[in-house]
Amino acid sequence: MKNIILSILLISNLLLAYNSDDLKQVKDEGDCPKCDLSYADLSGLELSFSDLSDANLSHANLNRAVAHKTDFSRANLSFATFVKSNIKGAKFRGAILKNTDFYDARIWKADFTDAKIDRCDFNESALGSAVFENNNLSNSTFHGAILYKTVFKADVKGVPKAEN
Amino acid sequence: MIYSMLNRCLVLLFVSTAILFASGLHFEHNFDKAMQKAQNQNKEVMMMYSATWCPECNYVKEVVFKDKRVIKYINKHFVLLGLDIQKDKLPKGFNYMGIPTFFFINKDKKQTGEIVGGDKAGKFLKELKDLK
Repeated sequence: MKNIILSILLISNLLLAYNSDDLKQVKDEGDCPKCDLSYADLSGLELSFSDLSDANLSHANLNRAVAHKTDFSRANLSFATFVKSNIKGAKFRGAILKNTDFYDARIWKADFTDAKIDRCDFNESALGSAVFENNNLSNSTFHGAILYKTVFKADVKGVPKAEN
Repeated sequence: MIYSMLNRCLVLLFVSTAILFASGLHFEHNFDKAMQKAQNQNKEVMMMYSATWCPECNYVKEVVFKDKRVIKYINKHFVLLGLDIQKDKLPKGFNYMGIPTFFFINKDKKQTGEIVGGDKAGKFLKELKDLK
């Protein structure tokens, strides 16, 4: 019985995994809009100024990646991890950010307009001058985050209180 | 008599504390002048390369550099040099990937360390101490 369950899990993971051509493209060229990069390991990669809009990056590992001004608009970033990444000026407009982990990430001046933010971890991150508009932040955490001149538009729900 | 002396001491303590905190951090803006000053004071130069339009740089200047612990540590160990990316070229031999970058320079004009980016005062101070 155990073996059957493990096999099912393995097969379902394989089915969910990224497209290898897409992974090659993002590594070679950076730009990969609408690509399937789910479960991809992009940790530590230099992705600055890349276009990853509309991409499927769910469960992707972007820890310690450098992605200045990268366009993640409308991308699916559910369960993706950006731990200690440098994503200054990145665009997350309309992105799906469900259980996304931004722990200790540098997210200065990022744009979260219309992003679907749900249970995200922004603890210890630097969100100075980032823009939040039309989001619900009530079940996300911001402990120890830098919120210096962070912009929370009037329609944002659950605005975190600055701790510093 | 003792009461009067105690009063004077308290006033002196208050004034010196006020001067210390009011002084904060002083930026030099000329590399050679900063090097000379550091040599005279037996310190290293801490060179901050930044820009006025950079929120992270402004956070460091307006928040981190107002922290008493950071001020005390920098004043004790470094001569602070501020260069602006829009006005100043980096001295020969120094390169940067992003701003703010903090270069630590010894009396031979050699880089001894580097911090890229700003952080909260406590973490920034730890990074400074780790350089030593």
